[in-house]
Amino acid sequence: MIEHLGPQLFNGLVLGAFYAIVALGLSLIMNLTGTINMAHGSFMTLAGYLAYSMVLRHVPFGWALVIAPLFAVLVGVIVERTLVRPLYKREPFYSLLMTFGLSLIAEEVFRLVWGPNGVPFSPPASLAGAASLGFMQFPTFRIFIVGVLVIAIAALALFLTRTRFGLRLRAAVQDSEMIAALGTNTQLLYAVNFSLGIFLAGIAGVLAAGMLGLSPTSGNALLMPAFVTVIIGGMGSLFGSIVGGLLVGIAISMTTLFIPAASEVAMYVLMAIVLLVRPRGLFGEEGIFG
Amino acid sequence: MTRPVLSRRRFVTLAGAGSAAAVFGIPAYIPRIGEAADTLKIGLLEPYTGVYAGPAENETHGFEMAADAWNKRGGVLGRKIELVKEDEQNDTSVAAQKARKLINQDKVAALVGTVSSGVSLSVAGVAATTGTLFMDSGGHSDDVTGKSCHWNVFRTCHSTWMETHATGYALQKRFGKKWFFITPDYAYGHSLEAGFKDVLAHNGGTVVGNELTPLGTTDFSSYLTKIDAAKPDLVLVFVQGDDYTNCLKQMNQFGLLKKYPVGGPQVELEPLLGLGPEARQGYWGIEWYYKSEKCLGKNNKLAQEFVAESIKRHGRPPTARNAFGYITLDRLAHAMTDAKSVEPVKVARAIEGVRFNSIFAGSAYYRKEDHQLMWPMWVAKIRPNGTPGDKYDLFDVTDVNAAEAVEQTIAQKEAVCKLGYP
Repeated sequence: MIEHLGPQLFNGLVLGAFYAIVALGLSLIMNLTGTINMAHGSFMTLAGYLAYSMVLRHVPFGWALVIAPLFAVLVGVIVERTLVRPLYKREPFYSLLMTFGLSLIAEEVFRLVWGPNGVPFSPPASLAGAASLGFMQFPTFRIFIVGVLVIAIAALALFLTRTRFGLRLRAAVQDSEMIAALGTNTQLLYAVNFSLGIFLAGIAGVLAAGMLGLSPTSGNALLMPAFVTVIIGGMGSLFGSIVGGLLVGIAISMTTLFIPAASEVAMYVLMAIVLLVRPRGLFGEEGIFG
Repeated sequence: MTRPVLSRRRFVTLAGAGSAAAVFGIPAYIPRIGEAADTLKIGLLEPYTGVYAGPAENETHGFEMAADAWNKRGGVLGRKIELVKEDEQNDTSVAAQKARKLINQDKVAALVGTVSSGVSLSVAGVAATTGTLFMDSGGHSDDVTGKSCHWNVFRTCHSTWMETHATGYALQKRFGKKWFFITPDYAYGHSLEAGFKDVLAHNGGTVVGNELTPLGTTDFSSYLTKIDAAKPDLVLVFVQGDDYTNCLKQMNQFGLLKKYPVGGPQVELEPLLGLGPEARQGYWGIEWYYKSEKCLGKNNKLAQEFVAESIKRHGRPPTARNAFGYITLDRLAHAMTDAKSVEPVKVARAIEGVRFNSIFAGSAYYRKEDHQLMWPMWVAKIRPNGTPGDKYDLFDVTDVNAAEAVEQTIAQKEAVCKLGYP
């Protein structure tokens, strides 16, 4: 049992980093506009399928990893402008229902375009093997995933803390009315913010497609842990999403080691404990990266 | 502009409800209305939305081909077959409700279909209480033709007992006796586990690890890291559908497929095609195959036509699911013709025990004592890249098992199954 502890902990951290990036995208969108994006998983699947189609046409995997999420962003911008924006002034319930409906439609569209069965999407040969980490054999692709996620998170942090636009975004989260009154184009802010969220979802989607399977329902399967992550980390805190993701990942991998049958319920138990002890979540409502 | 405040409590409620709906699916409804008095309506229940949409589509193609073939010959008892399709959403309660709708509203003469065992049992329950014929084409649980058997319920695909014993015997010939299981943690997985343990009990093998994975597991890494420590002679994978794809893909990434032989009770062409060639490996049970004489028989005209027509219609070869659909409806139509009636008891009597030839090698029959279709169960070694010119040709059929050798005996079945004819 104990000899598994190291590898399992590492497994959990990798998985956690993955949930973290999905949760980050969700948080970004939610913090600024109060939209609970139930179609987040669909954007992941969309990017996955787009990358799959590109790789089929001999686009290198590395390019597909960047271009496919950008295409997803394009769809995201259209969705934001036409469907989500009219609902900003309403109760969050409206946008939740709308995006949920959207995810159902998306699932059927994927089925129409790419077929009801899963499609084979594998990482390139250079990332296909397993590497020795000393204490265990670990898939090269997972190490690559960790690298990409760390870069993406660092880039997001820099963007939000070091650029004027990022500053405005964070200010808008605090008080969007005041920002609008001071002459910032909040509609543009919302659009860029939504795009950022979708871009993160897109990257996660392409990586997930390579690591797991790719089928019309695959993105939605990853959505629930991401929501749990947001709640554990605390709404309003991007840093919380990262910590929450890692905690969920570790919770799942540790219960798999000791009580395998409880692995699926572990994250909900963790969520319940956090909500009981600290109802606003671990880092809730402290501002972005604050 | 003020935007409505989203409290944490409200977020938890909304996100929870929304995600639950996303996971379990929301009703999608495909109505087909046909009121012509001279048609013979058959209710077809399949999970057209959700994870089993692929197999559902293929089974439906098989049903449609059987219906078209009979209609071309003038139908059954002079009436054209009309398939009334309903989406059971892979949900037991939806399936029961749709089954009732087909019986009460559409007045179907019989029910056919389903992919998942739980749903098959649910529909079988409705069929039993209403006295409607139900032919389970694709749900594998032993219970359908075991302790939940009923006079009006028949099953075409193999039982889990047949799958586990056919592959168990084939695998023990080739590999050692220390086996590691990756089991989906629900009724189907547990019955597979029991079946293989029965095989192991006969040859003195041991289970060196049995990982129970929840249905819908996406990340298998935590389970897979335990395989290396157990050092098994063989890893048996019981998970199905998307879980199967995820599991095998990750086994490959962790380098396990190079170290340990892999196999399982059953693999379908559908999920296999969703795997990259590098993760397609091992020996698996298969229930029908379009490109093997061992499976189709020598010069079997019917089978050859079935394969050719499927490829012509759908642009891809038929899978075992297509075969389930075809065999099921074809037998039902034969029985109605033989019984000169659609009255359930008469039709049931006309199905059971009758030997027939179909789109597979040899003859078969729905066993009188439990209503299980007794047809061979095959085992194949996977060809990762297919054969030149045919990317679908992934199975090299190695073993043929007669149904009687791998299914529970009549005595074993009679101890649990009481058909209870009226």
